[in-house]
Amino acid sequence: MTSRTLPRLLQAPAVLLLLVWMLVPLGMTLFFSFIRYVLNSLRRPEWTTPSLDNWRGWGNYEYVLYQAKDFWFAVQNSLFIVGSVIVLTVGLGLAIAVLVNRAFPGRGIVRVMLISPFFVMPAVNAVLWINMILDPVLGLNGLAVEGLNSLVTSLQTMPLLGGFFSLWPEFEPLSFRATQTSAIAVIIMVAWQWTPFAVLIFMTSLQSEDQQQKEAAILDGANAWSQFRNLTLPHLARPIAIVVMIQAIFHLSLYAEIEIVSRGNGNKNLPYLIGEFASNNIGAASATGIMAVVLANIVAIFLLRIIGKSLMD
Amino acid sequence: MNQKTIFARFIRPSLAWGVAILFFFPIFWMVFTSFKTDADAVKPEYLFLFTPTFENYVNMTENYDYWRFAVNSVITSVFATVLTLVVGVPAAYAMAFDPGRHTKDILVWMLSTKMLPAAAVLYPMTFLTKNFLGIFDTHFLIIIVLSLINLPIVIWMLFTYFKEIPKEIIEAGKMDGVNIWGEIKDIVLPLAWGGLASTALLCFIFCWNEAYWTVRLTTTEAATLSKLIEGNRAPEGLFFGRLSAVSTAAVGPIVVLGWFCQKQLVRGLTFGAVK
Repeated sequence: MTSRTLPRLLQAPAVLLLLVWMLVPLGMTLFFSFIRYVLNSLRRPEWTTPSLDNWRGWGNYEYVLYQAKDFWFAVQNSLFIVGSVIVLTVGLGLAIAVLVNRAFPGRGIVRVMLISPFFVMPAVNAVLWINMILDPVLGLNGLAVEGLNSLVTSLQTMPLLGGFFSLWPEFEPLSFRATQTSAIAVIIMVAWQWTPFAVLIFMTSLQSEDQQQKEAAILDGANAWSQFRNLTLPHLARPIAIVVMIQAIFHLSLYAEIEIVSRGNGNKNLPYLIGEFASNNIGAASATGIMAVVLANIVAIFLLRIIGKSLMD
Repeated sequence: MNQKTIFARFIRPSLAWGVAILFFFPIFWMVFTSFKTDADAVKPEYLFLFTPTFENYVNMTENYDYWRFAVNSVITSVFATVLTLVVGVPAAYAMAFDPGRHTKDILVWMLSTKMLPAAAVLYPMTFLTKNFLGIFDTHFLIIIVLSLINLPIVIWMLFTYFKEIPKEIIEAGKMDGVNIWGEIKDIVLPLAWGGLASTALLCFIFCWNEAYWTVRLTTTEAATLSKLIEGNRAPEGLFFGRLSAVSTAAVGPIVVLGWFCQKQLVRGLTFGAVK
């Protein structure tokens, strides 16, 4: 089979590099996950060097699953964040793509503005949102609520309606630094960044929609909603699948946003939990890592089943 | 005017503009704030009216060593993109024009390596590069890592571009006695030029924005702009002006680059599935 030699040779560097990239760290992680391995231990200094003598079997996994209480919370939170972001971006993306699908004055500029968030560095995205926009005191969130309160206070001095406004409570700005609200902050900023991606892809796909079919539907008296449901949505099935898949790939390993928004307040996803363990307990971090790999692969298999086939045609 | 034309002429455009302004606002606000002093940036009375200053940008280049981080970002992103293409182009080429029985499996497997949580292999990577290889905090390491994490996406994108080139053209070239390098150089590359450019661009953007490995596998020597941002985010609130200037300088080049090539990016990102 000499005819296969050249293609194999051409693929070899890429395949080998990725194989090494996957197997060496993964192999080491697998090994560490079965031994006792900590970075600092005064009591048991022998645990600070990775060695087969410190074999622990499934001990690290049992510790992570049963004793360290955060594992299931982190899994749940990972899926919550990924799921919410996907729903938001696909929903908003569809609406915006349909909205800008027709020509109107300044469409080019609108498109450029809409797409910009996608190019912003995730670290900048997080810093920008949590400090300058969502901060309950100094951010726009805090300033807006403060402004609203002072408006209400000044309205209370009005002659007739003043009595009505004095019944209003003082508004409290929402803080995004608690466990649950900071997960929402993460969802907002990631959705802000990735909605443009969905818009871009749906917009391109809409341009290839069959216009004759649409006109026929209009002649048949189909309203806008049923046109969207019965023609546009099926046409967008594949782009939607792609948006979902790519986002799942990227968001399952979300880290910068979580770290910047939620340092130490309990909001965590799996990668962040691994990072926390890794500050000392490498064994537990590795066990969590292996389980994260398993989770990612379950999601991957599921997604590739759905769209893998159509991608190859 | 009936209901329909009112919608088409007024409501749709204003809605679209409204949404666009909403989405662009955080970026505008960042650039806007970067011209305020740190003190002005948190005062409501200077929310929109203030005396613009370049103080933050001067401070950034003088005290934060901005250019060193920026140069590192450019070096690592450029070389990583080149390396990824050098490895990716032949592989994608072979897969598209000479697919074997396992080509599809290899492609899917490659993509699945993207799902490996970086946090799971961070410790082994630090351990290996620090204790065994001695390449921790070098440009070399960052370039290799950036190439590896982008290789799967790049191969997928190139694969879909190459697949759109009619095989007959290649066959005709073969008949004329063109060898493999001639085939790539004279036939494939000119035809796939647009695809290649947009792949390179997207790869560059992803490299530039990468914040996990570049922050954790560097200390000073090879630290990129993501590291600069990570290092400056701590003092909450009080340094909005400074923070905005650094952020603007970090994302500015890449956002502008993105504007110029938004159209080409679509096909690449969707693996050619959206036409």
